[in-house]
Amino acid sequence: MLDNVVFGSYYPIKSKVHYMNPISKILCTLLFALMIFICDDFVVMCLIFSLSILLCEMAHIPRRIYKKTFSSLKILFLFIIIIYSLSGLTLIDILIVFMRLSGVVLYSTVLTLSTPPNEITYGLQRVLSPFRLIGLPVNKMALSISLALRFIPTIIDQGNKILKSQASRGVDYYNSKLPGKFLAIKSMLLPMFILTIRRADTLAEAMQVRLYNINAKRTNYRLNKWRIFDTFLFLLHFIIFGLLIVKKVI
Amino acid sequence: MEIKFNNVYFSYNKNTPIENEVLKNINLDIKEGKISSIIGRSGSGKSTLVEMINALNIPSKGEVKINDFIITNKSKRIKNINDLRVNIGLIFQFPEEQFFNMTVYDEISFGMKYFNYKTKDIEKRVKDSLKMVGLNQNYINRNPFTLSNGEKRKVAIASILAFNPEVIILDEPTIGLDSISKKNLIMLLRNLKTRYKKTIIIVSHDNDLIHKISDYIYVLDNGEIVVEGDKYTVFKDEEKLKKYGIRVPNEIEFANLVYKKTGKKIGYRDDINDIIKDVYRNAR
Repeated sequence: MLDNVVFGSYYPIKSKVHYMNPISKILCTLLFALMIFICDDFVVMCLIFSLSILLCEMAHIPRRIYKKTFSSLKILFLFIIIIYSLSGLTLIDILIVFMRLSGVVLYSTVLTLSTPPNEITYGLQRVLSPFRLIGLPVNKMALSISLALRFIPTIIDQGNKILKSQASRGVDYYNSKLPGKFLAIKSMLLPMFILTIRRADTLAEAMQVRLYNINAKRTNYRLNKWRIFDTFLFLLHFIIFGLLIVKKVI
Repeated sequence: MEIKFNNVYFSYNKNTPIENEVLKNINLDIKEGKISSIIGRSGSGKSTLVEMINALNIPSKGEVKINDFIITNKSKRIKNINDLRVNIGLIFQFPEEQFFNMTVYDEISFGMKYFNYKTKDIEKRVKDSLKMVGLNQNYINRNPFTLSNGEKRKVAIASILAFNPEVIILDEPTIGLDSISKKNLIMLLRNLKTRYKKTIIIVSHDNDLIHKISDYIYVLDNGEIVVEGDKYTVFKDEEKLKKYGIRVPNEIEFANLVYKKTGKKIGYRDDINDIIKDVYRNAR
């Protein structure tokens, strides 16, 4: 079950998307999310959705990785589609909703697969830095997000260990019918919760012992250059977003 | 119970840039009714190997044969898997981390109905398994989260013994235990082998424990079995084992040191007190 969750895992290969500046990736993700949520025209939605497909192809990440993400979300998608079809929406509307959800999931998956967690922190800190002027604790927010992203694969590992342990006692998620699957998940939740809290505690102490100061000025290990491709992708997103806003206002 | 590995390979994250081949060309035949140990440095593939015996990992190549069950890379779903798992009890490293029930009784009996045990059988088995690990009936209604580490470990072991498996696999059973709890565990394992005729497989870094109780040892290094044999065969070549990141047990190290310094050969003993007696006898 947990092997299908790839969110938070970095997939180390060489591609144009991997070499992009994390600031431009985060800005493009934000613009994409805004575009896809304000658009309600089917043709324009298809074009925006194709942006996410284009990014996936440019990242050169194997398609089975995205299949894994979608297979873990298939029940959620099915549930949403059933609710929308019961509320009397047309097929076009349902397709728009489906593309909206899939587009956001796909785009954010590419972001996390193509960007190491510490680069995401760096990008978030720089993007949110203007909000420091209004007293927003940008450093703390960026650190919390990056730690959460960094620990998703660790927690998944832990969850898999617990599932294996319960499987050896007769409750196997993969080889059980629905009641067995529910019991397997139930048997995993409490131990995972306890272990996660314990790990968070230990991590906080380890950071204190190593004199980590959240307000200290930091340099970055990787030199993140802003390249022509960053400008091109950012402008592309910005122009499409701008046109959408104008179309909505007119 | 027959447990055989035939040319088994296993990789994590197959077909990705972070593919890691953890087991290579493993061929082994676990001896029934004996205590077999698997030792090796961290990351050599010991835990992965024992998880295969319980069908928790599927080999990338080769086959694992456990009685009538044959597990290969084509085995997506194994039919009647609980028939396999009821006979193979696997106790993980830090098994107390899997607790999620509010009483020791619920924790030990968890999963037993999935192994099709009747309710009155479950109650008897819980009491018997607690007795086997040296805990009395007062523990039945206690909250497992309030127990000491040693007691938690015993409850975790009892939860596996409760369904009376033929094979018991223990992954790092002595980690985090004090010396008295370790001694009790050794006595329990010996009892399980001699009195209850169980086949026991131990994965451990604790070579002193391995030396005391093992009948057969497999040394794993970089995913391959590099040395195998009884404890005297395996531990006699100190230099070779150092290459594989393995320290010989204290008793053997001491016997080798006495031989180096005095030229006198004293026998390999299970207990350091017996070696000291030998040295004293030789000195006279």
